[in-house]
Amino acid sequence: MKNLNEMRNVYVAGMGLIPWKVYDKEHYDFGSEALLNALNDAEMSWNEMQAAFCGSVYQGTGSGHQLIKEIGLTGLPIVNVENACSSGSSAFRLAYLMVAAEICDVAVAIGMEKMPKGPIPSTAFLPWELASGFNAQMANYANETIEYMEETGTTLEDFSRVTVKNRKNGALNPNARFQKPVTLEEVMASRVVATPLRLFHCCPLADGAAAVILCSEDKLKSKSRALTVAASVITSGVYGEGMMMSSTMASLKYPPKEGLVELSVRQAYEATGYGPEDMDVVQAYDTMASAEIWDIEKLGFCKKGEAAKLLKEGVFDIDGKIPLNTDGGLMSRGHPLGATGLGQICEIINQLRGEAGKRQVKDAKIGLAHAMGAGPNSSVTILKK
Amino acid sequence: MTIEKMTPIDEGFWTKPVNADEEIQLIGSKCSECGELFFPEKNKNWCIHCYKSALKKVLFSRKGKIATFSVVMQKPAGGFYHGGAPYCYGCIDIEDGIRIKSLISTDDYDSLKLGMDVELVIEKLWDDKDGNEVSTFKFKPV
Ligand SMILES: [Zn+2]
Repeated sequence: MKNLNEMRNVYVAGMGLIPWKVYDKEHYDFGSEALLNALNDAEMSWNEMQAAFCGSVYQGTGSGHQLIKEIGLTGLPIVNVENACSSGSSAFRLAYLMVAAEICDVAVAIGMEKMPKGPIPSTAFLPWELASGFNAQMANYANETIEYMEETGTTLEDFSRVTVKNRKNGALNPNARFQKPVTLEEVMASRVVATPLRLFHCCPLADGAAAVILCSEDKLKSKSRALTVAASVITSGVYGEGMMMSSTMASLKYPPKEGLVELSVRQAYEATGYGPEDMDVVQAYDTMASAEIWDIEKLGFCKKGEAAKLLKEGVFDIDGKIPLNTDGGLMSRGHPLGATGLGQICEIINQLRGEAGKRQVKDAKIGLAHAMGAGPNSSVTILKK
Repeated sequence: MTIEKMTPIDEGFWTKPVNADEEIQLIGSKCSECGELFFPEKNKNWCIHCYKSALKKVLFSRKGKIATFSVVMQKPAGGFYHGGAPYCYGCIDIEDGIRIKSLISTDDYDSLKLGMDVELVIEKLWDDKDGNEVSTFKFKPV
């Protein structure tokens, strides 16, 4: 088995985003716009693409093909990737591996989703669990949240500060679904959806798409804006870890020595030689306000129970020591399942290129994006200048 | 999966006492190699912890403690759940050493606390379209 660092370098040639909002158009309409934006950004022509991986969850059979038909069928292999909320980052990893393993020189990753209305009808559950109402994902997060609060003493107000921070960042992101800040009072006064979590602790849904073109060094049109993919890792589930969102129960007899997120980020750190201290900007997985808090801890940026204090001190602000979810995260961007993981990577690209506008982190050279997905999956991407 | 025809909660999940003095218990699997417990009972003889074919049927204690819970204000999407809302579910740590996901039965959601002692009950979840009562296991504060 090859290590990631034994393969050739892979570069980000271009990225494409569109505003994330509620579209009347279909996924292939706005998804193909994101792809054209990426093509433009990479200064490449469409027939240079040698493989396409298209992440989505609810778009159905051949959804990537539908999208690419809008751009042109060239005979290139199109593979559709369904990996829940990490579909986009899974597509990215497949494109990365194709180039790293020298199977092709240019590959494109796409993530897109036109969301069904209302809460997410996850089918990652057994029939008896669905009949029992155990697929209420907000309640599954709430169960993890109450356990985390009990263990660490973190409060609802602490979690609410995540929403306030991310909505503040989202106000600086012209592509975010929500571009209006909220106050701590507004978050705390929003209606309860699943105790103890309130509506403003949950990320909103949105339709959206993102595309990233990866290539070998010789295919780059412009070296000045190119970034290197330092690591792209996915791990899927470890025995004994309780993740109610993915319908796995904690084992009381055999709890895991290392959790899923910790495993994936360790593999990414080992492949790159970097540690959390090297990261200039981070995109963590904030489906729920509480999830961002425990995610940044699991990614190794601080010890369990410390994140709330650091958040309050401003460490995770754009001008803080560890800028976190600088584009507003899922909380502002919205959560088009298949696009989310790739959208996070696009923000790291923007930041490292110095093209993040009003939300630019000073001198950002290395960044990390982390997406979870029901299954469970955990995907970590590290990019560097 | 057509929801109309599906038996929502598998009745093989718990025992059916013949005599009035016997109590209902949840049915699971125990691995005789590693001791790991599973609920519901595994339908194939394979331990997903130690990868041995060493599972035996086991009955669990009726008693446990609330490890986590959440009161859900609205029914989840998908149309699979036909019970009432708000409803409550969480994780119950059973005395035998297994965590089970379960609906929690109470008239007073505000009284629920982590670590609370709970006991197994069988309760109606809903009536199906033929008027048959569909029941499920829940845990209820003692
Ligand atoms: Zn075993």
